[in-house]
Amino acid sequence: MGLHTLRLATVPLTFSTFTSRLFLKPIPPNTLQTLGQFSRHVQPRKPFLVRAFSASAAVHETPPTQASDSSAARPQWKASIDFKWIRDNKEAVEINIKNRNSNADLGGVIELYENMVNLQKEVEGIREERNNVAKKMKGKLEPSERERLVEEGKSLKESLVTLEEDLVKLQDELQQVARSIPNMTHPDVPIGGEDSSAIRKEVGSPREFTFPIKDHLQLGKDLDLIDFDSASEASGSKFFYLKNEAVLLEMALLNWTLSEVMKKGFTPLTTPEIVRSSIVEKCGFQPRGDNTQVYSIDGTDQCLIGTAEIPVGGIHMDSILLESVLPLKYIAFSHCFRTEAGAAGAATKGLYRVHQFSKAEMFILCRPEDSETFHHELIQIEEDLFTSLGLHFKTLDMATADLGAPAYRKFDIEAWMPGLGRYGEISSASNCTDYQSRRLGIRYRPSEPLQTGSKKGKASLPATKFVHTLNATACAVPRMMVCLLENYQQEDGSVVIPEPLRPFMGGIELIKPKLR
Amino acid sequence: MGLHTLRLATVPLTFSTFTSRLFLKPIPPNTLQTLGQFSRHVHPRKPFLVRAFSASPAAVQEIPPTQASDSSAARPQWKASIDFKWIRDNKEAVEINIKNRNSNADLGGVIELYENMVNLQKEVEGIREERNNVAKKMKGKLEPSERERLVEEGKSLKESLVTLEEDLVKLQDELQQVARSIPNMTHPDVPVGGEDSSAIRKEVGSPREFSFPIKDHLQLGKDLDLIDFDSASEVSGSKFFYLKNEAVLLEMALLNWTLSEVMKKGFTPLTTPEIVRSSIVEKCGFQPRGDNTQVYSIDGTDQCLIGTAEIPVGGIHMDSILLESALPLKYIAFSHCFRTEAGAAGAATKGLYRVHQFSKAEMFVLCRPEDSETFHDELIQIEEDLFTSLGLHFKTLDMATADLGAPAYRKFDIEAWMPGLGRYGEISSASNCTDYQSRRLGIRYRPSEPVQTGSKKGKASLPATKFVHTLNATACAVPRMMVCLLENYQQDDGSVVIPEPLRPFMGGIEIIKPKLR
Repeated sequence: MGLHTLRLATVPLTFSTFTSRLFLKPIPPNTLQTLGQFSRHVQPRKPFLVRAFSASAAVHETPPTQASDSSAARPQWKASIDFKWIRDNKEAVEINIKNRNSNADLGGVIELYENMVNLQKEVEGIREERNNVAKKMKGKLEPSERERLVEEGKSLKESLVTLEEDLVKLQDELQQVARSIPNMTHPDVPIGGEDSSAIRKEVGSPREFTFPIKDHLQLGKDLDLIDFDSASEASGSKFFYLKNEAVLLEMALLNWTLSEVMKKGFTPLTTPEIVRSSIVEKCGFQPRGDNTQVYSIDGTDQCLIGTAEIPVGGIHMDSILLESVLPLKYIAFSHCFRTEAGAAGAATKGLYRVHQFSKAEMFILCRPEDSETFHHELIQIEEDLFTSLGLHFKTLDMATADLGAPAYRKFDIEAWMPGLGRYGEISSASNCTDYQSRRLGIRYRPSEPLQTGSKKGKASLPATKFVHTLNATACAVPRMMVCLLENYQQEDGSVVIPEPLRPFMGGIELIKPKLR
Repeated sequence: MGLHTLRLATVPLTFSTFTSRLFLKPIPPNTLQTLGQFSRHVHPRKPFLVRAFSASPAAVQEIPPTQASDSSAARPQWKASIDFKWIRDNKEAVEINIKNRNSNADLGGVIELYENMVNLQKEVEGIREERNNVAKKMKGKLEPSERERLVEEGKSLKESLVTLEEDLVKLQDELQQVARSIPNMTHPDVPVGGEDSSAIRKEVGSPREFSFPIKDHLQLGKDLDLIDFDSASEVSGSKFFYLKNEAVLLEMALLNWTLSEVMKKGFTPLTTPEIVRSSIVEKCGFQPRGDNTQVYSIDGTDQCLIGTAEIPVGGIHMDSILLESALPLKYIAFSHCFRTEAGAAGAATKGLYRVHQFSKAEMFVLCRPEDSETFHDELIQIEEDLFTSLGLHFKTLDMATADLGAPAYRKFDIEAWMPGLGRYGEISSASNCTDYQSRRLGIRYRPSEPVQTGSKKGKASLPATKFVHTLNATACAVPRMMVCLLENYQQDDGSVVIPEPLRPFMGGIEIIKPKLR
């Protein structure tokens, strides 16, 4: 998803224990009538209904408060999660959850799924019974027999309505609980925490300075490039104004990055920076809660994007693409907004962690069989860009516990920031396989007709598949500025502009101290 | 303030009638205790206090608690340095100005509150003096009974002082609220009347004549794969958009070219925060709250999204005293702008013309009062030069009184011809806000020349600070420029020519051609 780690969606788990039993209990009509979305089909209950509930648990009334809780958590959208696959690969999923340090409740998901499958069978059974009754009534019948069939049909219809309501609730709950299951992991990813991450590549070495160096904050102040103090008054801490050459440097970085990445066949985009909260969720981020990284707009269901990955992910939402248009490769420019709740300490100094910044983000939609190749292309583009700028950096194959829920594999690049005296993340490239596309509803239809043993040799329309999505930072401006200012500072306090950027900032080669 | 008209701050007026009488009445302590900010100094009342309220007939009676609570809720979070004395001394001119500008400001209420406040200040000073006298008397040798009497009197005076000071704070707060709705005064040359009365200052070019059926920018944007409103409507809502392909490069070229042109005139480039405290929005003269607000607020904070870079640039020197030698400060600020566009509807909202989010380069000048008219002319000249370079046909209008927002002393709008929409549309706006914003933002300067006020000893006294004047003007509001460029430069074959000045800023692209799909 790019820089900083947006907190990824987690779902309250306390929930499942209760509702996995709920579907076995009839809910009194007066309770249901208080729930907007379930109230339409409410019918008076009859003892007959109990029959429909096969398995366990006694028939007793559910307290209204519990039912309301269930309704409140109703998902606004549906992720096409492959529950059958999860159940059939239970052990692998379990190990993956453990490796990724996730708190997903696999047992709960499988239990809910099996309950749902059973309930679906019940519903089908009753539908069949009802059809049989309807069939019987077509013939000539004794009045008493007809009366009996009418009653039976009515009774079956009522139980069907109730079971279908229960099925909807169960599906909703399965959605909620299952969303916390992380993507599976590439077999080559190192297992463990951050320390286990493997170095894929290292470029350059730390520059050796013959003079006492400044950090980017000091350089920004001395060269009149960055104003945190005024921004703190006008907006709050961790906001900033860029001034003078810093404005040109931002434009140059973005222009140069766009033109370099467009050469590789990427389509440039600018995006909305206000999006519906559901899009944020579908991309795997959590727009609500105390520790959310997401700014919400007051009085609407909209929020500010933390990365262009979100609106670009949304651009093909709920659509079926032609295989021939794949891959779709985008380079999107946007401003990004993050609350940075909970962030503190030295890592938050100056431009390193801020509430608002400019970023160019790459995003690819492709066929599943191509996503690994494109993941390597993305990381190669990043490495080429940062090498051109003369940075010293390391590319890391991030360990399992450091992957966000959507990522199947993630490469981070950490560059040397001499003023801060450490390496800092400047980019991140993730292959999300079908994690996001199953939530965003982005499919494609293979061009080749499938040769499934259709006896008549007729070409059947091939089934749709989910695309794979990948995202990678091309240029997160503030962290690039940290690198450029700190690495290219000179003894006289000036900063040299790397050659590739000069044509994009009117030929400026050097940022010199201003005469005041 | 740039494009579109953000709704300007208006203040509920019903309020003044009630509180303009309030200060004449003692408020029972049990009422005050319910008001957070006033409750600290509550003392039991004594009949003595009534004396303190000089003027009017108003009986001493209890105020219902609900009214008192209303008053507390409206307490202003910041203070505008409004020149009330000047307003009172120029009552007729202010009255005519309010009428000309179609404002609903309550001048009578302001003046009444101000005079009540002045009277109350005098009362407070009188009691302070009495108290000092009592304290002085107690320094000498005294009979115990006399000392006792003085102690009691001092105590009584202190109590009444505390109460009166509380009343004074309330009165000042209310004066603030009511007075903020008074608009800036108006330049004498501004035509009086509604939009139709606006005078044409300049007209450049003429509408292009097309020899083929023309498209509007929406159709061109779709045919050339440049703008995607449909996806944005799903992802974000209506009136949001993605730019694609050459449109992205065109936006960058417009901003880069504009910045480099305006920097040549000595403007300092800036990028700004796009989330600001609501108080800054108010201080710039916009209304961040209410049903019809144009401002997006952030949930759970006192922050909101900017509708124009004028707001964060206005805030950059807030509460400071600048050196005269630093003036003028000329900024060209790039930001994204966010507007709810509540209430906007109809044909004028088509496509890119009115959208929730857009990029804009905005000029902002802080200068000495005597220079603001000159800089206003410079700003409008820069705008006219930019749009002339791009080959647009446009008119510059000296906007009539009823069309000015509260902060503007004078405003020039530029309206350009948009052939696809078949009308002129506003593409820029340049306002001289004189000291309206600086009095709210607290931006002063100290003149360099020592003032030669008849100081007998010939000693150079430090000159008094003055409020700067602020001006703002759109340099480039990207979506409306795109409307103009796409619609005016379309060709018979569906392509669009890029104006020459922009080509070096978009990698030499001369024409946007239909894509082969």
